[in-house]
Amino acid sequence: MAALPAGFGMPEFDLTEDQRALQEMARKFARSVMAPRAAECDRKGLFPEDIYRKGWELGLMNLNVPSEYGGSGLSLFDQCMIVEELAYGCGGMTTSIIANCLALEPILLGGTEDQRRSVLTPFCREYQMASFCLTEPGGGSDAGGLQTLARKDGDSYVVSGEKCFITNAPHAKLFTVFTTVDPALRHKGITAFYVPRDTEGIVPGKDEEKMGHRASSTSTVRFENVRIPVSQRLGAEGDGFSVAMRTLDMTRTPIGALATGIGQAALDHAAAYSLQRRSFGKPIGEHQAIQMKLARMATLLHASRLLTRHAARLIDGGQNATLESSMAKSFASDAAMEVTDEAIQIFGGYGYMKEYPVEKLHRDAKLTQIYEGSNEIQRIVIARELLKKYQH
Amino acid sequence: MSRGVLAVAESVDGHLAASGREAAAAARSLSEGGTVTGLVLGTALAGPAGELSRAGVDRVLTMEAPALEGRRALPWAAGIAAAAAATSASVVVLPGTAFGRELAGAVGSLWDAPATAGVTEIVGSDAEGIEVARPAFGGRATQRLKLTGPRIVLALRANSVPPAPPAAVPAPIEPIPAPELAAGILAGEPVGFAAAASTGGPELTQAAIVVSGGRGLKAPENFALLEELARSLGAAVGASRAVTDAGWKPSSYQVGQTGKSVAPQLYVAVGISGAIQHLVGMMSSRVIVAINSDPNAPIFRVADFGIVGDLFQIVPALTAEIRRVRGLAEPGRSPGA
Amino acid sequence: MEILVLVKPVPESESRLRPSPDGRQLDTEGVKFVLAGYDESAVEQALLLKESVPGSKVRAVALGPAARAEEVLRATLALGCDAATLLEAPPGRELDGAETARALALAAAKGPADLILLGKQSGDQETGILPTALAARIGRPGFSNVLDLRWDPGSNRFRFARATEAGEERWEVPAPLVVGLQQAWNDPRTAKLQNILRSRKLPIDRIPAAEVAAALGPAPRESATKFLLPPPRTGAKMIEYGRPEEAAEQLVRILRDTARVLP
Repeated sequence: MAALPAGFGMPEFDLTEDQRALQEMARKFARSVMAPRAAECDRKGLFPEDIYRKGWELGLMNLNVPSEYGGSGLSLFDQCMIVEELAYGCGGMTTSIIANCLALEPILLGGTEDQRRSVLTPFCREYQMASFCLTEPGGGSDAGGLQTLARKDGDSYVVSGEKCFITNAPHAKLFTVFTTVDPALRHKGITAFYVPRDTEGIVPGKDEEKMGHRASSTSTVRFENVRIPVSQRLGAEGDGFSVAMRTLDMTRTPIGALATGIGQAALDHAAAYSLQRRSFGKPIGEHQAIQMKLARMATLLHASRLLTRHAARLIDGGQNATLESSMAKSFASDAAMEVTDEAIQIFGGYGYMKEYPVEKLHRDAKLTQIYEGSNEIQRIVIARELLKKYQH
Repeated sequence: MSRGVLAVAESVDGHLAASGREAAAAARSLSEGGTVTGLVLGTALAGPAGELSRAGVDRVLTMEAPALEGRRALPWAAGIAAAAAATSASVVVLPGTAFGRELAGAVGSLWDAPATAGVTEIVGSDAEGIEVARPAFGGRATQRLKLTGPRIVLALRANSVPPAPPAAVPAPIEPIPAPELAAGILAGEPVGFAAAASTGGPELTQAAIVVSGGRGLKAPENFALLEELARSLGAAVGASRAVTDAGWKPSSYQVGQTGKSVAPQLYVAVGISGAIQHLVGMMSSRVIVAINSDPNAPIFRVADFGIVGDLFQIVPALTAEIRRVRGLAEPGRSPGA
Repeated sequence: MEILVLVKPVPESESRLRPSPDGRQLDTEGVKFVLAGYDESAVEQALLLKESVPGSKVRAVALGPAARAEEVLRATLALGCDAATLLEAPPGRELDGAETARALALAAAKGPADLILLGKQSGDQETGILPTALAARIGRPGFSNVLDLRWDPGSNRFRFARATEAGEERWEVPAPLVVGLQQAWNDPRTAKLQNILRSRKLPIDRIPAAEVAAALGPAPRESATKFLLPPPRTGAKMIEYGRPEEAAEQLVRILRDTARVLP
């Protein structure tokens, strides 16, 4: 069962020919380059740099960087479409491929034109990775409570503290880091910087052993009195919280797409298996017990895709979509958990075996409920946005 | 309705190629009482012409010309069209080789006739034309089509038509002059030849039986086991892409999408899991046998007969059994010993 | 060097095959047509030659229903071809190989080409007769099953190998030449995202169906009669055995007496 079955995506009724061509390209890369290596990278925890390099060459890595800086400059809708396709091939690899989007978005949102040009252009000219450093050991979703301290000293800052769960950190050439100039100021003290890896005092930790997304690399990053010039500050002191939140507003929706891709792979495997595996004299797919599962899985994925694409459309149209993007991210990731769980159930005992592909999908799906704002935080946001509409 | 049919044969090392006998037999079945003419082209044609004269044709034409020596499709096609006109043939049958396909295209254009290649079956024939079957989509489907009109060109697929038993009386052999050839189509020249790494048996795409090995053989030297089995069957040896990619065997052994397509009477896959890449290159084989240690290997889904087990035990046992039933001696031992 | 590369839209390799309602041919309903197989290698080879010979241009040519042919041509433009010509197939008209060659010759006649490249066979019907049918039609030397195709500027000749059953022939042939390609130097490249977007806006030259129809004979000479799928392979009959010798005995008995495939 190493080979993926032919995918049965949902009807793509609202894509243009151009979008189909992009989707086709991402699909081909996912299925012919990523998928064949997914099981091995998962088993051994390998970081397939050659695949990332190839993805970069094809323009799949800096999807959100505008074309004037040499990036792909795609709409969020198109980014989501591509991320879903990539995640179908391997969720973990996709996390590493799109980590640049996350790390570079603060520069797009908070940087000056000079900063954008000098930082973003090299990423599009040669293969390199960047990491987004927000989460700290003391707290993830409570971004106002950051402890990493930036102490002003002349025309630079001296930054000390520790960040954790940082995607691609051991391989990154650049970090965007969120600090506080004074913890007592809470949100109002958050200040963002970008800093090259070779700056003295930056110490990435060892690669973490993870449950899933094992083709991706994750570690802590310690900042030991790292001297960062003021010129590398994004916006003013205290602008950092807004930059972080607006960044996550942009990157949350693609996580919904990533979860959908993982779920779609699970459904395709399970549906194909259900037609092949026989019990009581017929393929199990002809038993209603399995049909109920498949129908629900397909419906969940369809809903995930619509929520995700709708949120992306709103954002592309310049609207505030905090509510919709939180709905998309939390719904699609919960759906991916349920769909991958049911896929294992359909495979029965084989589903529990590492030799078959679905248990990996379940482990990969789990992270999508946690990262880029846990689903609990998403629901708090949804409720807050919702209740706003009722207040007079 | 009888028709004149021209059967074209190639020669290999001074002998008639087996594909030529198949072309002659197919021509006979299409002639319905008409004259079947065999044609050989090139130089030093006495040997192959003599063999063709006993392959079930009514007469043999030899078209000898230095320009026909290297196998170039266009000059040969001009010669074939001239021979077809001279014999009033309405059908040209070409051999089931790679060059046969090239000829089919060129003869079709020069003779302004519908042409097809890779024909595995003559389905029917009437006054209008000829219906044939040919594999398509990597052997995943068969397309039947009907070619109509006063002139029709067919190239066979190897091993599809049984050759006729050798005739007791040879057919007459006559020379026929080559037509004048335009200099343009003769531009360039052959400058060398590298024989394919010998598989120690018949050529892969032409063999009636193919024995192929995959990763399950574990090491290149273990191919000796397969070669023994192939010898006992008179089979060609093939390999999966994993094997040729790993450099255990040269790429000329590779069966599959990016290698050779084979359609033998019997295909034996040993230690091959059955990636789709491989399957499309062998799925049109008539009977497929798979030997693999993994009962879930996809190869068992396309095979007709399967043995799950240790190939290092099964293959030698199979070789011994085939030798026994075929009355072959074990190597290194004389039959009487 | 001016290179023409001829590509055919063919069903995606994972497409499900089933007969059309009249049973004559593949049902193309819902099937995606793509650039595939040896044609992909031909495009790759054309681009490699272009890159190795400064000043070269590659024009892709596709014959088929306009929508399908256009998608395939856009794919070639995204990969790096410089221009594209679409030959609109006359709707419903079945073409034999010689007629396809006549149609493609229309595109070849639009400008001089030093090399006309195509896959040695298409990814659907796999007849493999087109390279030489076209060569014969336009009166240029034609070779198929070609690998290791190189241009030698010193001698103004192409050097290549041609695969035969017996081995590989080496040839040297001056331009102009028609080549049916078996293998490019590299695995076919993948188009970059930015190039895909750019290619969507490039112009495609068109030769209308009426002009193509006028180049064909008066009536079709080839027609599909039946599209057959093999009976689904239900899985192998597994041989149960104790000792390896028993497995061998059983298998040989089946192959000799039932399947009758042993010599």
